Amino acid sequence: MTRTIINGERMDTARPRISESTPKPGRNPAADPAPDDAPARRQVSPAVPVVRTQSPAPDPSADGVPPRIVVQNLSFFYGATQALFDNNLSIATNRVTAIIGPSGCGKSTHLRVYNRIFELYRDQRATGTVLLDGQNILAPGVDLLELRKRVGMIFQKPSPFPMSVLDNIASGLRLHYRLSRSELSDRCEDALRRAAIWDEVKDKLRAPGTSLSGGQQQRLCIARAIAIEPEVLLMDEPCSAIDPVATAKIEELIEQLARRYTIVLVTHNMQQASRVSNYTAFFFKGRIVEFGETTQIFTNPVEKQTEDYITGRFG
Amino acid sequence: MDPKALSWHIEQAGPMRPRGRRGRRLLNRGVCAFSIASAAVGLLFLAWILWTVMHRGAAAINWTFFTHRLAPPGAEDGGVGNAIVGTLLMTLLATLLAVPIGLLAGVWLSEFGRDSRLAGIVRMFCNVLMGTPSILIGLFIYTVIVIQTRPPHFSGYAGAIALAILMLPLVARTAEEMLRLVPNELRESAMALAMPRWRVTLTILFRSAKAGIITGIVLAVARVSGETAPLMFTALNSNYWPDTMNEQMSNLTMTVYQYAKSPYPDWQQQAWGAALLITAGVLVTTLGARLILLTGRGRGARR
Repeated sequence: MTRTIINGERMDTARPRISESTPKPGRNPAADPAPDDAPARRQVSPAVPVVRTQSPAPDPSADGVPPRIVVQNLSFFYGATQALFDNNLSIATNRVTAIIGPSGCGKSTHLRVYNRIFELYRDQRATGTVLLDGQNILAPGVDLLELRKRVGMIFQKPSPFPMSVLDNIASGLRLHYRLSRSELSDRCEDALRRAAIWDEVKDKLRAPGTSLSGGQQQRLCIARAIAIEPEVLLMDEPCSAIDPVATAKIEELIEQLARRYTIVLVTHNMQQASRVSNYTAFFFKGRIVEFGETTQIFTNPVEKQTEDYITGRFG
Repeated sequence: MDPKALSWHIEQAGPMRPRGRRGRRLLNRGVCAFSIASAAVGLLFLAWILWTVMHRGAAAINWTFFTHRLAPPGAEDGGVGNAIVGTLLMTLLATLLAVPIGLLAGVWLSEFGRDSRLAGIVRMFCNVLMGTPSILIGLFIYTVIVIQTRPPHFSGYAGAIALAILMLPLVARTAEEMLRLVPNELRESAMALAMPRWRVTLTILFRSAKAGIITGIVLAVARVSGETAPLMFTALNSNYWPDTMNEQMSNLTMTVYQYAKSPYPDWQQQAWGAALLITAGVLVTTLGARLILLTGRGRGARR
């Protein structure tokens, strides 16, 4: 499998674009790695026993990109069943990190820890550390509303709220910001534009969100999520319920959004991972088998399991 | 599975003797005919009841029937106006009492209690309460309210409370069921936008489940407005226009009960008329609920 399947050209032009944006000073100065952050991460890698299939978390700061999220020894339980085993991972700031792996390997479970949305269900439990800008979000006393404002999420199934297109965006905005009527409509338009859906919905802002097509609904959900200015965007198979044309639009959108947001993308679609991501983590049975730059994972994987999976020889 | 073993398994599967087609076709026809007949029996009785009530009740319907109060047998100007008012008042009060409590209970069951043991117990008691004969609820209110008041007396309030108790489990369980139908993705998306739980429930879930919940409430109202037994021990009946709900209160169902078993032809005639009114009222509210559900589905709440 190669990365040049559909968007080979675009990929090649897209890569330099992302590294160009690297020297640009961080939008959020607090996002730069705290001095005590990097050592903490380095301490962890040797602590992982060599016998595990776990590959040590690579250091994305090697190419100058500071991590936004650092996951250390994350385990996850559904009741008594353990679903994740000692995951270690670094999510680079303003980059796209893809999580791939077969069904049931824990990709979504892993993602759902980053905004603690799993806590909606009483029998689900996570242990370990997830540092968001150096702060452990799994610690007790973390303000969940604050966390979820910073870490937005897009789900597999488009889920517009049962209200108008405009109110879908406005309901989130009003929740977090004190805005005048005109500011509110400006912000809504801005969010819809950034989600590349403005032209399609500008004449039906009062129509119910559920009246849009599947792909439009998903972009509406993306607009809703980015309207409140999160720092991280979690995407849980955002294209699995929509057709290829809409998928192409959303992939293009992801590339654009990566300039401003740190994106973690769970996907079943390996071409998608290779097209849009900078880093890829391969999950298998709740463990991270391999994590590295997407180019390396797809062209020169270190682990046999990774190679088998991406070449389709898995079993 | 190892490919060799798989191909072995596939080859192992030999040919099978086909089942006779005639027997299956006969069975199919038999079951089909039986279910049509069963449905027809139900519909037949419904049509029969409706026709009888309309046929015999229509003669009683005139202007005086609506505007005058209950009168002694033989009186020219007898009507059921006060009974209509009494039934409406008690049903309204019962709705005002039962709907808020029932909705909150439904929200708790669906959103917070969920699979906890307490929720299971609450759900079971709801079901028991739904299956309780309504006369028991009338007796219960008679014991704890009617004979405890000073001086002991029947009242419209007691009647309304009895009806509210009947409504409560209906509203709670429909609200729970309708909220549970809202897909989890919607809850998660709202929570992921950092929306507090109460706000998710009020602005997203209720909006989604609105049509179903309103339908449930309307059906519960229709159901209790036709109840007689709970009123027998609580509101009783009265020949007068209600001044206050703190006294015996006239109502349609008790009027039907008392007039129908009386020996006076004019009272019996009015009982048929009152029965027609109740039937028409229940029919109209039920159809209204259907309509709400249909139009509600067409807009916003489509899933």
